[in-house]
Amino acid sequence: MSYAQHEHHDFLGASAQALADPTLQQALTRLTDTLLAGNRRGYAALADSSELRDHAKRIKEHSLAHLDQYLEQLEASVLKFGGKVHWAATAEDARRIVVEIAKKANCKHAVKSKSMTSEEIHLNPALEQAGIEVTETDFGEFIIQVAGERPSHLVAPAVHHTRESIARVLSKHLGEQLADDPKSLAMVGRRVLREKFRQADMGITGANFAVAETGTIVLVTNEGNGRLTTTCPRVHVAIMGIEKVIPRFIDLPVFLKLLARGATGQTLSVYTTLITGPRQPGELDGAEEFHLVLLDNGRSKVLATPFRESLQCIRCGACLNACPVYRRIGGHAYGGVYSGPIGSILTPLYDSVAANPHLPHASSLCGACQAACPVKINIPHMLIGLRELQHYHKPSRWERWAYGLWSMVLCRPWAYRWALWAARLLLRRNAQNGWLSQMPGPGAEWTKVRDFPAPAAKSFRERWKELES
Amino acid sequence: MSQREVFLQRVKQAVVEGNRAGAAPPLPERAGVGYQGGGPDPVSRFCQELAAAGGKGYVAADSDAVLHTIQSILQAHNARKILLTCGGLIDRLDLPARLRELSLEVRTTDDVQSDPREDFFSDDVGITNVHRLIAETGSVVLASKPNEPRSASLLPPVHICLADHSQLLSDLFDLFDIFAPTGSSIQSLPPSCLTLITGPSKTGDIELKLVTGVHGPGEIHVIICDG
Repeated sequence: MSYAQHEHHDFLGASAQALADPTLQQALTRLTDTLLAGNRRGYAALADSSELRDHAKRIKEHSLAHLDQYLEQLEASVLKFGGKVHWAATAEDARRIVVEIAKKANCKHAVKSKSMTSEEIHLNPALEQAGIEVTETDFGEFIIQVAGERPSHLVAPAVHHTRESIARVLSKHLGEQLADDPKSLAMVGRRVLREKFRQADMGITGANFAVAETGTIVLVTNEGNGRLTTTCPRVHVAIMGIEKVIPRFIDLPVFLKLLARGATGQTLSVYTTLITGPRQPGELDGAEEFHLVLLDNGRSKVLATPFRESLQCIRCGACLNACPVYRRIGGHAYGGVYSGPIGSILTPLYDSVAANPHLPHASSLCGACQAACPVKINIPHMLIGLRELQHYHKPSRWERWAYGLWSMVLCRPWAYRWALWAARLLLRRNAQNGWLSQMPGPGAEWTKVRDFPAPAAKSFRERWKELES
Repeated sequence: MSQREVFLQRVKQAVVEGNRAGAAPPLPERAGVGYQGGGPDPVSRFCQELAAAGGKGYVAADSDAVLHTIQSILQAHNARKILLTCGGLIDRLDLPARLRELSLEVRTTDDVQSDPREDFFSDDVGITNVHRLIAETGSVVLASKPNEPRSASLLPPVHICLADHSQLLSDLFDLFDIFAPTGSSIQSLPPSCLTLITGPSKTGDIELKLVTGVHGPGEIHVIICDG
């Protein structure tokens, strides 16, 4: 299961392994069917969901087009409420900043609420190396932390596990034999993680949104671990990508109405927590220190390009559930932290286009991702853009030769007519009942998995001539 | 230049480079888009939405009815240790005294001093006031205050909240209109922690089987006082 444990660039190998795993196939179908049905139900329950999604998109467009201003405003607001702001240009900066905060506040035990941004910067190993125990508290994240794996879905990180494998992983970790029914496993999780919350002196979270006007960060969870992480420990560190900032407090409900509906079909997630600075004088709980780490890590690079639209993503996972490719190969096949259609854009952009040659092609461009997206990100358009980039980065000699021939033929009517005649003759000879089940050369790749329709007996031009006479 | 200035300079440059014609639109005004409202009967809409999320709503006509409802919930759980926040309806109904009459182990947040964490971890039931309710979503809104700690609605396995009929809002948008530092006549800043709770704590991480109470309360009861 090395694909589950390590980031990689072996898209084809990992996909083949996923396709050959019937348990994973069953789990993926169950998850994506359920969540996609929820997504459709969720939008349908809003009278004007399409207009609201357009509105949300415009807020994001505006925020990104004035990102420097809103980041400064966010900083000022956080400071006003007694919080601290840190600027992390790279993943390495972010890791160093968090470790320094922990050391300065003398923290030994960190609890974490699910955060893809912290996955992106590989925070846990850095904390452990600095002698700080770190525990993932989202139940799914806890399972994969114990198993030493990576999340395989944006909102259901442990979808690749069954109740049996979860019982096995936790039994081994705790040194006791656990029953494999979901209720008792979850209660074991509650017991173990409650103890961690009791001990914890540092809480680490991401941020679903941050409001420039008030310095508020927003956390959305169904389990309540986000609340515990921000309530029990005395230090709270929130790490957010710079694209998460939105201008005003009143812009928040626009996204809250869409996020849970897009992700699972819920009206709202169970807990929506809005944190504005540390606890105020007289309050009995909540963090005494509040730190906000603003992470760039390649985002400003993307901001300057036509791929800016990818920064509108609110990480709901809807495009994963809708994608016919993700639904079969699951999250680990994509190799990076972010999977599915949006991952196929983010990983090449943040990692490298050249090192991820297959990701922009891991899509049939059917558009289901865009239809499911709460902010209607034009994912297919950007995938095509990435394919174009690949071509400029490393044009293949064969491709150039083929397109050269193609344009030569298309520019000469006699050559075009002759080529069509020859192709028709060749293909029709091997056809049976109007279908070809074997083609020569590069066409064999096609017919390996599906038949190819045989060409018609007469070309359009020939029929046109007949009709005219 | 400091790290911060370099950072912001880079973002600024990227913004300028990436801003094509028409790509820097003004901040849009929402007008009425997305407003669902609470329907003709917001109270029953609230209870309906809360039930759909797995919680339970009650409408109580007077203080006796409130007490009776609380009592039956406590009995169903055989609860002994009760934590109450202070102020609001809880004080108006004199709830701590009335629950003590039932020979329950009752503590209020006034009884809890400096470091309350150990205490909060051992309670059976937390009873809190609410800041608002939202009919559209069936949500309870809690605002942190010195006498309304976050733990009371979070650590005990059962959460009961008391609300006055007048605290019910129709739509999620209405809540955010209350806290609008700029561009609004009501100048109210958000509290250090504003929490929206919609149903009991849930996880579906094990084969998508819904389990409640994995971290937060496994049960949420909302009693709306009508009188």
